[in-house]
Amino acid sequence: MAPESPFIPCLATLKMAIQLTPDIKLLSVELEDPDIRASFDYKPGQFALLSAFGEGEAPFGIVSLPQQRDGLEFAVRRIGTVTRALQELEPGDTLGVRGPFGNWFPLEDYEGKNIIIIGGGIGMAPLRPVINRILERRDNYQELLIINGARTPQDLVFQSEFPTWTKAPRTRLELTVDRGDEQWKGRVALVPDVVKELAPSPDNAIAIICGPPIMIRFTLAKLRNLGFKDNQIVTTLEAKMKCGLGKCARCNIGEKYVCQDGPVFTLEQISQFLEQP
Amino acid sequence: MNLLASKDDLIRWLDSLLQERIVIAPVRVQEQTMFQPISKVEEIAFDFDNTTLSPKGWFLPPTEALFTVQRDDGQVNLVPALVERDAVVFGLHPCDARGIALMDSSFLQEPSDALYRERRSRTALIGLACRQALPECFCTSMGSAPDDPSHMDILLTEVKDGYIVQVVTEKGKALVPKGLAKYKGKVPTPPKLQAIPTMEVTSAMRGLFNDPYWERLADRCLHCNVCAYVCPTCYCFDVRDYSDKGKVERVRSWESCQSPGFSLTAGGYAPRTTKGERLRQRFSHKFLYFPERFRDVACVGCGRCVKACPVNIDIREVISDLQQLTEVKSGS
Amino acid sequence: MDMELIQQIRDKARNLLEEGTVEGVIGYERASDGLTARPFFAYEPAAAERLIFDETCIHDLVKYLLDKKGKKMAIVVKPCDSRAINLLLNEEQIKRDKVFIIGVSCPGVVETSWNRRSETLQARCRTCQLSKPLVYDFLVGREVARQAEEETYSDITEAKAIANKEEFWLEQFGRCIRCYACRQVCPGCYCPVCFAERLEPLWVGIRIAPEENRVWQTMRTFHLAGRCIGCNECERVCPVDIPLSLLNRKLEKDVKELFAFQAGLDPEESPPFATFKKDEKLEFGA
Repeated sequence: MAPESPFIPCLATLKMAIQLTPDIKLLSVELEDPDIRASFDYKPGQFALLSAFGEGEAPFGIVSLPQQRDGLEFAVRRIGTVTRALQELEPGDTLGVRGPFGNWFPLEDYEGKNIIIIGGGIGMAPLRPVINRILERRDNYQELLIINGARTPQDLVFQSEFPTWTKAPRTRLELTVDRGDEQWKGRVALVPDVVKELAPSPDNAIAIICGPPIMIRFTLAKLRNLGFKDNQIVTTLEAKMKCGLGKCARCNIGEKYVCQDGPVFTLEQISQFLEQP
Repeated sequence: MNLLASKDDLIRWLDSLLQERIVIAPVRVQEQTMFQPISKVEEIAFDFDNTTLSPKGWFLPPTEALFTVQRDDGQVNLVPALVERDAVVFGLHPCDARGIALMDSSFLQEPSDALYRERRSRTALIGLACRQALPECFCTSMGSAPDDPSHMDILLTEVKDGYIVQVVTEKGKALVPKGLAKYKGKVPTPPKLQAIPTMEVTSAMRGLFNDPYWERLADRCLHCNVCAYVCPTCYCFDVRDYSDKGKVERVRSWESCQSPGFSLTAGGYAPRTTKGERLRQRFSHKFLYFPERFRDVACVGCGRCVKACPVNIDIREVISDLQQLTEVKSGS
Repeated sequence: MDMELIQQIRDKARNLLEEGTVEGVIGYERASDGLTARPFFAYEPAAAERLIFDETCIHDLVKYLLDKKGKKMAIVVKPCDSRAINLLLNEEQIKRDKVFIIGVSCPGVVETSWNRRSETLQARCRTCQLSKPLVYDFLVGREVARQAEEETYSDITEAKAIANKEEFWLEQFGRCIRCYACRQVCPGCYCPVCFAERLEPLWVGIRIAPEENRVWQTMRTFHLAGRCIGCNECERVCPVDIPLSLLNRKLEKDVKELFAFQAGLDPEESPPFATFKKDEKLEFGA
């Protein structure tokens, strides 16, 4: 008898793949089973495990919003064997989806607050549905400041959405790169320094941050200097995951299983269980 | 009510079980005893101290396919792995049955692990009470005992005329052969074990999380996976795809938190980079994280890691060190 | 137990720590069974009193130097272990001036496992030609002329005669649980990322099964061809008793015959497979 296994992914079809940056592709994915498709509900911050059959499975934040009925979107950066195989898929190819897993950004709790979104490189991916959800319910939030950094101008993700973000009321998009090029007229600075320069006020504010560990570390220091309390800083953790079910223990950090207890944590929570200060 | 099975009864019984089920039993392999599926009852080693590996491998095999990926004309079909036959694990000691019960806490928790659940429900445990305690044994300190029938379906205790048959569950009852005599004799006294103090190990673990103790202890640790693989309660695993000559499977294999790549992400982030942090993870999981989730500490006192560790990292000594350090810290 | 020898080790270790010559001393202490030995790291002068040495000090401690790179450490080294020092010096994994070697003249060690020690010398000790370490800063123990048996590789001859070698080895490797204890303990296995863990290219599949295990064990052995110093730690730590010495010693024998080379005897001489001589002519190739 075949047991109903939570390890078996739902089959899905790659609808579209857009090259966002030299190493990041936006994959638009449609679940094959119409019933599952209709019931697949998720919130900004949740993730799914994508399968490239023959190579394996890896976790990715879902970067679309559930009402986008045309499919689930994932930003996949080429970094290992699974991500390479996912990037090599052609529209019409089959892949696997398991999820949604994990917790989400409690955006309802942040209503009435100023929101500061700080993303670095591929770290912007899980923040994109947060931005779009806030813009969708723009009146429910105060000022929205988006700081989006990348190594080079080419590496900035979601560039096609920048005009929409900038045009939104009470919304400011600040771009920065570590290294400019001939066309780049914008800021050349590290994300933590931009945070320091712009000095957002901690009053009635929530900072949501995602990026490489080193960016996070230095940005946290700047935010704390600005007076942000650890419960005002929210992040989403990247961890090795193999099951998404709280069993394989690969994503176990401190007492937490990132796949089930996370990936979204406040800095206050993290500082209690992160094993390296 | 206890029954008595003579040695011949037991052989006949196992033989009849073997006709309808897979029987996993202790088998001598060179100098060691291993749990293996047997094809004949004669293969069973009735006379053994302890097996090198625990019987967990029947429920969480070192390697198993979770499903097979089939492609027909571009159509992908995922074929789940099957559990085809009922089974009996014969000859496990009470500590190992407790180990399986502890694994249940995680694997049967929803969303439950289908293959594990299926194997578990289709496998009966016919255990053997321990005749002697080994120097590395400390089961009584970890919630078990040499004669503990809990978590077994049937417990056998060797006596002069054969085996006392203690039926523990309905599942066990269904397997007992008809016509066994009642056992009216005395049940032998179980061997005595030296108790190790285990009080407050969870709070000691929490309190000493950042203590330099761990780096010192890890100095001699080789970070091999021996302790985890011989352990009846260590259950971390890896999942990857395996392709061979057009056949594609998603495979799960044992893995251990001691290996450097265990939690290393593709992006290069690892939550534990030093030897001490990695070794601490093993003990944290056993004494802190597991009990926080499932109440009990994830150790059954089987002593396998004590015996198998190539550099003598002795879990009993770790527990006692934690307690001493806690006392020193609290100034008592 | 030779208390005089132990006292010499303790005194030296305490001095080195007191003077601050080294940050730590890697030696042996009594194991939790009260019978055998285990590796021990002394950092405070008082801890030197825990150091011991006897015929149960079977571990090759040299591997630990790789964990302590950049720190000046003292280490207790048997004659056989000193070959590991030479290997790592030759391969530039350790720096001579960062290591203070307390060499021990060793009469040989016995087979031990937890709570068990045999009375007979290990096979490798019976043919050991070294009466004292090849390299040391301070020598303890009485140097005795050894009456070593001749190395005949009779085990290899016997293994060669096994009727169905393929079946024999698949059966042995079938038991392997890929715990990698053999690799972790080996002083010659120190690649930052082992081929067994590489995904690109993928050398060994994830499956813990005879075929994959064979790939693992075969490649492990070949990576040590001409580099294995014969400490036999891999075989000692194997939890399922795979006779790894047969593999290592087969290659040791071949390298000795083909290249007249034995690993770790001279820190200046590189292993044959780490060197290229233009005029080298073997029985194979052009």
